[in-house]
Amino acid sequence: MRRTHIFRLLAIAVVSVLALVLAGCGGSGSSGTADGGPLKIGASLSLTGDFSDSGKAAQRGYELWADTVNKSGGILGRHVELTIVDDASSPDQVVTNYTNLITKDKVDIVFGPFSSLLTVPASRIVNRYGYSFIEPAGGGPSVFDQKLGNLFFVQPAPSTAGGNVFADYILSLPPDQRPATAGYAKLDDPFAAPIAESIQKRFEAAGIKTVYDQTYPAETADMTPIMSGMVAAKPDVIVGGSQEADAFAQMKALIQLKYSPKWLFESNGANSPADFPAAVGAANTEGVFSSADWYADSSVPGSAKFIADYVAKYGGTAAAIDPTSAEAYSAGMLLEAVAKKTGKIDNATIISTLHSGTWPTLVGDLSWDQYGAPQGSFLLIQWVGGKPVTVYPPATAGATPVAPKPVWAG
Amino acid sequence: MHALTQAIILGVLTGGVYALMASGQTLIFGIMKVVNLAQGVLVLLGAYLTYTLFTHLGMDPFLSVLVTTPILFLVGVGVQWVLLRPLHSDDVAQLSLLVTFAVALGIEGILSFVYGATLTNVQPSYANSSWTVFGYQVSVVRFAAFGLSLVMLGVLYLILQRTKFGRSVRATVQNPMSAQLLGVNAERVSAIGFGIGTATAAVAGSVFGMLNSFNPGSHYDLISRLLTIVVLGGLGSIGGAVVAAVGMGVASSVVAAVASPIWSDFSFFVVLLLVLLIRPRGLFGAQTRGAL
Repeated sequence: MRRTHIFRLLAIAVVSVLALVLAGCGGSGSSGTADGGPLKIGASLSLTGDFSDSGKAAQRGYELWADTVNKSGGILGRHVELTIVDDASSPDQVVTNYTNLITKDKVDIVFGPFSSLLTVPASRIVNRYGYSFIEPAGGGPSVFDQKLGNLFFVQPAPSTAGGNVFADYILSLPPDQRPATAGYAKLDDPFAAPIAESIQKRFEAAGIKTVYDQTYPAETADMTPIMSGMVAAKPDVIVGGSQEADAFAQMKALIQLKYSPKWLFESNGANSPADFPAAVGAANTEGVFSSADWYADSSVPGSAKFIADYVAKYGGTAAAIDPTSAEAYSAGMLLEAVAKKTGKIDNATIISTLHSGTWPTLVGDLSWDQYGAPQGSFLLIQWVGGKPVTVYPPATAGATPVAPKPVWAG
Repeated sequence: MHALTQAIILGVLTGGVYALMASGQTLIFGIMKVVNLAQGVLVLLGAYLTYTLFTHLGMDPFLSVLVTTPILFLVGVGVQWVLLRPLHSDDVAQLSLLVTFAVALGIEGILSFVYGATLTNVQPSYANSSWTVFGYQVSVVRFAAFGLSLVMLGVLYLILQRTKFGRSVRATVQNPMSAQLLGVNAERVSAIGFGIGTATAAVAGSVFGMLNSFNPGSHYDLISRLLTIVVLGGLGSIGGAVVAAVGMGVASSVVAAVASPIWSDFSFFVVLLLVLLIRPRGLFGAQTRGAL
């Protein structure tokens, strides 16, 4: 991927210039809003470019929430008016967009963009103007390292803590039923390797021996050599600190090498309800673990209504809903909850209110540290009968974990 | 030892597929001195066409080659005729870089528009099957892909060595001026040659789609790999591209298996640098104008 940057920067530069020109032409200096007028909410999303699929999913989440809340009379009687602008997945454009939303469009509230890459520059601008920043899709360490007090990440835990729930589950087993050996395959990426490292640290402390440990670069086209090394070490549990493509490649290689570990955890990819079965074959999903914050069969209150409204508005099936839509929708739920609790809806109130208490959303009950890092944990999901189900923690689980993992269907 | 042998088997099989992609690339360079930066995205176009035929019509990915190859041939001829032919011959090497890069971005944009940015995968029932041979696992798709690549390379060889068109191509590669004086229609040779070069991407694409998850941005990694193979083999040499591709496949695979995947791509570049220091024109690059 890195090699592509030079080429892409060129493209991004051209797009940015065009966008600036267009933005200049189209600016229509709307006036500030008095209380009682519409509640204007702005967000920049990646509707084109690399993150466009996720960006559009976030857009659907924001818009569905706005529709829903407007149907029930708006927030404190104010009609929610959503302004979503495209940043073309560019960290430069996102800065321009939030500046315009705040200074030109004079929105009352802003919601976050997609990805940590864009959330970091966006959050700095938003912070400068004293706005609150409820953001559903920037959970990398770089976001929280900025130590901004106005930021709230709308997922149960920072992205790098995504696998801790798997370690919780394994270490909850009686010692004689735990795996004795573990193998780790980690993608050299800030959202992948740290998840596996965090699990590895806890496994090693508990005496689970590391028999294979490799980190691979993003441009690794073929996982088979790495997985042959893994298979030769015969680990009881395989932990993939992965993104989507490499997670699929790891599993395809394991299937071809005919090795099925007793437990298999992939930090990403295997939590994608539609893509995962398509990539490895539906029968091969059986028993694979991953973690998620929301999925179609999630038992969280409000989820069923969200799915029904979503399908009514956008069509498709429940299983095809991107979790990003639920996360974006949850950002709106937080705003609603603050208004309900305080009777006010301004940025200072939002910031001070969200810093105390626990807030129910579609992605679980959320609370944050002072810099916006959520304090909860993801759900451990496992593929059972061709569908992901929550298997840990027991309080929210719909089934008990299946171990050992059934052998690959081939 | 087991892991090493397994890695070598994999490397050879993977190398075969890259050999096919790179042979088209090097053929285009040989004929026109055009470095085709769109070869990677054309492989993806082949993969997406295969995906569409497979998901909508249930057509087997290996069979769909019969449909995708002519399509990509026409795309190649079109690109050459419309975009490259008008370039002034003195500047063609430099300008063609920009033109083919623009083509790559354009096709990437169209693919993103049509298919979206999510990862896609061609998944026939046998995609994950493998045979156990003397305790080693040989992937069915990889083996078939390797076989298909050999067949296609054979066809390419026959076209170039045994047909009148092939003779024109070789003549153009060796000395374009003399070839034209002897009645070779250089424009026609260039257009068809470009078409054949891109047609190899169709075959490589259907295989690539079964072996990898891909999205429209996947071509950047692909093209950088193809360029290194073509440079290592010697620009314009198909035999060189095949040797370099298999060499790269084996080197990456062995280093990833016995040392670390972090070094696997790097190791290939070390070999590339060493070869270029000793033989600046690549393994099989000709001194002046080469023979295919």
